[in-house]
Amino acid sequence: MTPVSALLIFVALILFVLAQLFLKHAMEDDLRSARFKKNFAIGLLTMTVSFFITLGLLQHFDLSYLYPFQGLSVVIISLLAAAILREKLTTRLFFGAALISAGVVLVSLS
Amino acid sequence: MIQKAKKLLLNPWFQLVLSVLFVTTSEVFLKRGAVEAPRLPDEVNWTGVSGLASPDVWYGILFVIASFISWLYVLRFIPLTIAFPLSNFVHVLVPLASWFFLNELISVQRWCGIAFVLLGVLIVAKPVARMEEKL
Repeated sequence: MTPVSALLIFVALILFVLAQLFLKHAMEDDLRSARFKKNFAIGLLTMTVSFFITLGLLQHFDLSYLYPFQGLSVVIISLLAAAILREKLTTRLFFGAALISAGVVLVSLS
Repeated sequence: MIQKAKKLLLNPWFQLVLSVLFVTTSEVFLKRGAVEAPRLPDEVNWTGVSGLASPDVWYGILFVIASFISWLYVLRFIPLTIAFPLSNFVHVLVPLASWFFLNELISVQRWCGIAFVLLGVLIVAKPVARMEEKL
């Protein structure tokens, strides 16, 4: 794996998580409100960009190689919650994040 | 018969299973389509846009949409803190499908990595789902 493909994997992942959050907020709003339109548009855009980056990555890597990286999305969500909501990062979260990271490293070297 | 099928389709737990199967199917189609499509020169190819030339990519997109619809239905009835941990079964299904349908060779090291990821995700899934609800 080259540094460029590693970067693309992470960008696709972060955009995917952001898309989920924006789409979730859009779904909670009135369909005609300006806020729904804004959140939905941002969600759809980030989802699309993430989709095409992933499609490009699939041209170069095995699916069984790329998919485990999705596990990192829960780590990204915890970090976002810690940064934005000041949620506490518990030992349980650290332990899980360590396992996921170790797994991703093993896969990326395989 | 039709009544029974309708009842099954409206069952949120059945929809949860469907959405996981749809995600797996979409990934297999997208991988197939990405490989079939003509490749552009590497400098511009990182977007994978050329994949749209393959019908398999479009089947993949249909399954992505289907998985979204199922998932949204699931979340109307099952809390995220329960649905999300269960949905992580995809981390087993996708590698199995890669091996079975795409003939990918998965080394012992890669299976170990996948097992670590799955274990880690299962450990944090519930608290993370609670955080995601607030984000």
